Parts: sequence; structure tokens; C-alpha cells
Amino acid sequence: MLFNSLTFVVFFALVMGGYWSLRSWSARKNLLLVASYIFYGAWNPPFALLLFATTTLDFWLGARIAAAPASSRKVWLVASITANLSMLGFFKYGNFLLENTQWLLARVGVGYQPPHLDLFLPIGISFYTFHSLSYTLDVYRGATAPTRSLRDFLLAVSFFPQLVAGPIVRAADFLPQCAHPPAPLKNRLQWGLFLMSLGMFQKIVLADTLLAPVSDAVFGNPGPVFQLDAWIGVMAFSGQIFFDFSGYSTCAIGAALCLGFHLKDNFLFPFAAVGFSDFWRRWHISLSTFLRDYLYIPLGGNRVGAGRAAVNLIIVMFIGGLWHGAAWTFVVWGLLHGLCLVVEHFLRIVTKNADWKETLPVQLGLCLVTYFFVCITWVFFRAPNFPSAAMMLGAMAGKIPVGEAILSGREILQVVSVIVLLWLAQWRLRHTSLEAAIARKPVWLVGAAWTLMLSAIILTQGSGNAFIYFQF
Amino acid sequence: MPSSTSNFDFQRPIPALPWRGLLLSALLLTTLAAVAWELRARALGYAPDLNDTSDLWADRREAVQPDSVVLVGDSRMLFDMDLGVLEQGLGRRPVQLALVGSCAYPILENLANDESFHGTVIASLVPAMWLAPPPAPPYKNSVRALKRYHERTVAQRAGHHLGMLLEEHIAFMKQDDLTLEQLLKDVNVPSRALYHAPPRLPPYFATIERDRQTRMIPAAARPGPLQDRVKNGWIPLFTPPPMPAHTPKFVFEQIAQATEARFGQTAAAVQKIRARGGHVVFVRFPHSGALKELEDKATPRDGIWARLMQETGAPNIYYSDYPELIYDCPEWSHLSAPDATEFSQRLVPHLKTALTK
Repeated sequence: MLFNSLTFVVFFALVMGGYWSLRSWSARKNLLLVASYIFYGAWNPPFALLLFATTTLDFWLGARIAAAPASSRKVWLVASITANLSMLGFFKYGNFLLENTQWLLARVGVGYQPPHLDLFLPIGISFYTFHSLSYTLDVYRGATAPTRSLRDFLLAVSFFPQLVAGPIVRAADFLPQCAHPPAPLKNRLQWGLFLMSLGMFQKIVLADTLLAPVSDAVFGNPGPVFQLDAWIGVMAFSGQIFFDFSGYSTCAIGAALCLGFHLKDNFLFPFAAVGFSDFWRRWHISLSTFLRDYLYIPLGGNRVGAGRAAVNLIIVMFIGGLWHGAAWTFVVWGLLHGLCLVVEHFLRIVTKNADWKETLPVQLGLCLVTYFFVCITWVFFRAPNFPSAAMMLGAMAGKIPVGEAILSGREILQVVSVIVLLWLAQWRLRHTSLEAAIARKPVWLVGAAWTLMLSAIILTQGSGNAFIYFQF
Repeated sequence: MPSSTSNFDFQRPIPALPWRGLLLSALLLTTLAAVAWELRARALGYAPDLNDTSDLWADRREAVQPDSVVLVGDSRMLFDMDLGVLEQGLGRRPVQLALVGSCAYPILENLANDESFHGTVIASLVPAMWLAPPPAPPYKNSVRALKRYHERTVAQRAGHHLGMLLEEHIAFMKQDDLTLEQLLKDVNVPSRALYHAPPRLPPYFATIERDRQTRMIPAAARPGPLQDRVKNGWIPLFTPPPMPAHTPKFVFEQIAQATEARFGQTAAAVQKIRARGGHVVFVRFPHSGALKELEDKATPRDGIWARLMQETGAPNIYYSDYPELIYDCPEWSHLSAPDATEFSQRLVPHLKTALTK
């Protein structure tokens, strides 16, 4: 079920009505659990069983980890990691592994024709696997106690606002909220609805209507395009993926808040990032912190010397790239980010105490340089294969003598306007939060903005395009 | 070890604003804006009516029974056939699977590969559309509809049915004309040199019902600005833009191979249906004016049409062979609603004859 669909509007209204009319906290959680499985099963019912099975297994393994003596706790953790990553690997990376095995064997002269696994990728599998895995990892680390309630754990993993496209909510952050009914909080429902409106507006109007047609046209063009078209296409994609994913996260946070649950921010004005480490503090925060806490720090983080820390960064970003999709283009995207992080790390060491770095012109310049390199990496993320990525980069560099003008003046103006306004807004807000910024605005302006967003959503009549991150 | 029930104290802040009043104001103003937009849409000639979506098509595909009469093809099949008249004449109500601007071959192939199907297929054949290669929009239109039929989820079905309830009462819900994306295309911004704008699809000029019975609206059937807009859109649409100069040679070869292969593929699909006891009849529908001149020149009858009929061996009806089937299409490509009813009545005897062959 998509947030931007009539089905969800009706579903959410029914869930909200039922939820707040029930008095018993236990009954409310039961209702949310059933609703979450309906939400997921409405896409493909058998995969709801898979979700249930893997979650139940982690619930059991979490209890085993907590109960086991120190010497054997690791065995149960390895069992949980193996089970989760095997399932993810089978559905998401099965064909990728087979194809690469075939390629490698061919290099050494062994002819091997692997079967093509005709698999449906369970929607949101990368997200709910991490939701669930965070529980056994945290129980093992002693960061949380195992819950005794299977129902609460099932709800923590399957809670419908964040189930299929994040944010990646750790069980340790969600389970405590299941302990007691939400305390009364003035204006929670209205603010939640405002966030949902904002998220829908980002997705339906900005991503799907103003930017996606342009990036789809440029990246979908079979031949080379002009330099201007290539740059506008990449800029459009940078905005599209932000509004698409940030829109989903904002909807999820708003929907959860309407139900009394508090989810953390997943985006914090990433277009205003100064440097790649700042970018990853602002972009898909729930993934970057997950990788930091469960991979980068256990690998030694930056406490193991500069060289080893650089390797750790590259490993983490390699995994981060692969998490997004079973293709080498995603791996290259991750590795490029890793490389940029390493370069930035060394530049920071070289320019350690330089005051000039903090001046406004330099900060502005570094922000633009960051955006420039982020755009370069997006080419690998969006292009279907390496030849297409190479053609796009060649066009952006002006190295391809032929090409087509495939964008109209109106489309170019549209993309430039949206991206410039987005950048200006995020630059102004980079040291604050959405809530603080809105609290400072006049009431009439907030009301007008809300009306404008709702009207634009109605005018757009979204055709229910899937969110980009569903495929991950 | 910290307790799982006590280590999370994060609470989202809520800006201190009068949110209840803000919500009510936003809802009220949005409702007023929607009402104003609805009145404007009706003043422009739009009426509450369904969108011809892939979901609506998939509903009809699901309605196909093993012995159904199925209509496939392009918009001429959609506009020119009166399902009630055909039901009276052929003994059962046909299932309308024609798609606007489409190559119907993938649909015919889908029916041919459906082992349970042994009914009757009546196919509209516009030669240039029928031979459209896989990357071309007419072919993609059919593939998109089939994909929806095969893959749609419970949630998508529910959304479609909820959407139809709204579309039947709200005039501005026109996905091809009145969405923000379509309205932005009308914004007049100076265009770039070397940029060739793709041809625009015609504006709203027909109504469609749940069984996909389609009828041209009266404003398009009589001379006037709407009819002129529709009419003037056909020539660019039927004149594909030239391939870019840098297109590699193998692309042209691939297109030529795909086009050539379509003859054999069509014959094989027809043969499959006939081998199970089914029937396939091809029909060439009336068209007129400058569009007829263009089609006659680009795809003369003794070219693609003749070869397809020869290779498939299927019975066929070419409208101009029968004086009673020759009509003047008000916007050159389709019949008006009253003419479609009359044309259907006149076509039935020919269909009956063809089905006995």
C-alpha cells in the first residue's frame, strides 16, 4: 500500500478511528499489528508470512542471546545475522551472485550456466531486515533488554508507517514506546497531519510531477544528450530522490505521531551539507547511524589509525552501496562516497586549525563543491548500467560531440527553480530544525502553505507512483 | 543491562502554533479551492467521467471468459463500437480491450497464449500502429496495460475502485488533461533551439464507462474549436519524428527486424486461437480528411494490410469495400456517438459472415 494512494487515506482513517476509540492499550497495539500486516499483505500476502517468520525467529534468538552464558552468546547472534542476511541475500542478491559467479568462472575458462531465479523481491525487505536485526544486535551489546512480548516485537518490526521504506527504526527505540499508552500531547494529531501533508507534497508534487519526468527523460534517453540536458537531468534526479525519500520519511514520522509514536528525523537539510561527512549526518540518518554503530565502530572506527580508518570507511560505504541494490553501479556509488569521505578526512587533518575554513564564502563554496560531487555519484545510482553512466558523465563533461536537446525551456526552468529554491531554503535552515523554523513563521503563512500543499496534491491527482526506496 | 522499556525518552517537538484553527482553515480553504476548480473544469466542457487507466483495462481483461467476444485494437475500435448493438447482433456482450494509441499485437498475443481462450477476437488494424516495434509508445501502451493486469495488488485494486467513485462525480479528475503536470505543459516559456516538442495527445473529447464503452462528446462531433484541436493533433501524431542523426546503424536494423517479425508473430497468434476453435477477424475502420490521405500514402492497403491478411489467412473487413460502412469522421479519425451506433449495426452482418469463414 502506498502513502500516496486513496487506499491509504481510507485505511489510515479507519485505523485512526479504531485506534483512538479503543480504551485498552493492549487492544490498540493488537489493532496496529493487524493493520500493519494488512498494510504489508495488501501488496503480496505470502510475504507477510515471511515477515512474520523472520521476526519471530529474531524474537526467539534475542531471548536465547540474553539467556545464554557469555561464552555462547555470540553463537546465537551469528545465527540471527546469518538468518537475516541469508534471507536478504537470497531474495535480493541471489541472481546478482549467480551472474557474477558465472562471470568469474568464465574468466578461468569454466563454462557455467546458472539458473535464473525468478524471484519477487519482498517490498521493503532491506528495511525490515535491519529493523529486526537491530534488536538481536542491541540485546547482544547489552544496549537493550529482550522484550517478553512477541506482539510488541512484531509491532516494532512491522509498524506500518516505517515498515517498507524507513526510517530504519531500531527496536530499542520503539519497544519502550510500547510499554505505556502515549501520554496526552497537545496538537499531536494536527502536527502529525501537517507532516503527512508535507511529505505527500514532497512526493507527489515536487518529486513525481516537477522533477521525475525530467530525470526519467534524460536517463531514459537511448542516445547521448547535450551537456545542459545532462546536468539538468542529474540535478532533477538529486531533487527527485531527496523529495521522494524525505517525503516518505516525513509521512512516516507524521503518521506515527498521529498514533502517538515518536520517530527520529531521517533527513536534516542535506543540500546544505558542507563535506561528505556532513552529508551523511543529514542524509538517510537512520541508515548512516545504523552502519556506524553496527559496522564502522565494531571494525575499529577511527580509533585504529588513519590508514585503517580509511579502509573501514570504504568497507562501510561498500556495504551501504550494496544495501541499496544488487548491481555494481550501486557499489560504485557507495565506493565513490567512501572515497570522498576518505579524501575529506585527510583534508581535515591537513587543514586542521585553519580559521579560513569557517568563513561564509568558503563554507558556501564547500557546500557547492559537495553538491557537485554528490551529483556525480548520483549518476551511478540512477543509470541502469555502466555504459549509460559513462555516456551521461561524458555528456556532463562536454566530451560527447553529438547529442540531443531533449528538454524544453519550460522543463529546464522548472528544475532550476526547484533546485535553487530547495538549496536556498536548506542553507537558511541548516543549523535549525523544521519544527523550530515553523514555530518562527506567522500563523497566516503556515496556514497558507498548508492550504497550498493540499490544493497542489489534489490538483496533481497522483497516479500512485511507487517510492524509489521501495525497491531497496 | 538497561531495560528495554525505559531507555527511550525522545519526543518530537511540536511548534507552538494554534494547530486546530490552522487545520480547520486549511481544510476549508482547500475545499473552496477544489470547488472553484471543479466549476472551472465544468465551464471548460469537462464532465464527471472515468479515466481510461490500465486498471480499468485490467478489469475488462479479467472479465474475459474462455468463449468471450473480445475487441482489441486502437482508439477507432474504442470509439466506433457500440457494445449494446454488438451484444444484440452477436448474441453476447463483447469485452472492450482496445487501447488509445496502441499496437494491439501484445494483447492478441496474450489472448493467443491463454490456453483457456477459444472465443472470438475482433481486431482493429491501423497498419503503422500494428507494426510498432517494442520501444515505440504504441507497443509500450499495450505492454503497460498487460503488466498491470498481471501484477496489480489488492491495494491497487482497492485504490482503483475508490478512484472510480470519485471520477464519476468530479469533473476535474482528468489524468490526461487537468493534472498539474499537464497544465504545466501549457505554460508558455520560450523554447530552445534544436528542441523538438513531442506531439501532444488530443484533449478530452470522449466519455468512457466502466465496461469501457467510449463515446465522442457532442462538442467534438460538431465543427468548433475542440474539433479543430483534436483534428490538428492527428497529423503530428501519425508522423513520427526522425531518428536522431547519431543513432547507430544497428538500431535501425533492430527496428526493421522487429517490424518484419511482426507478420509471422501475428500469423502465429491467429493460428493458435483458431487451432483451439476460436476466431479472429481484422477490421479497418473509417477515417477521413487529411488523415486518410496521410495513411493511404504512408501505409497503402496493398502493403502492410494485404500482407498481414495473406499471412494470417484471417477473415477481414475493409470499410471502404462496403458503401454502407463509409462514414465521414468529424475529427478525421473517429465516429461521433450516433454514427458509432449506426456503424455498429451495419457492421454486425459483415462480422457474422466473417465468423462463418
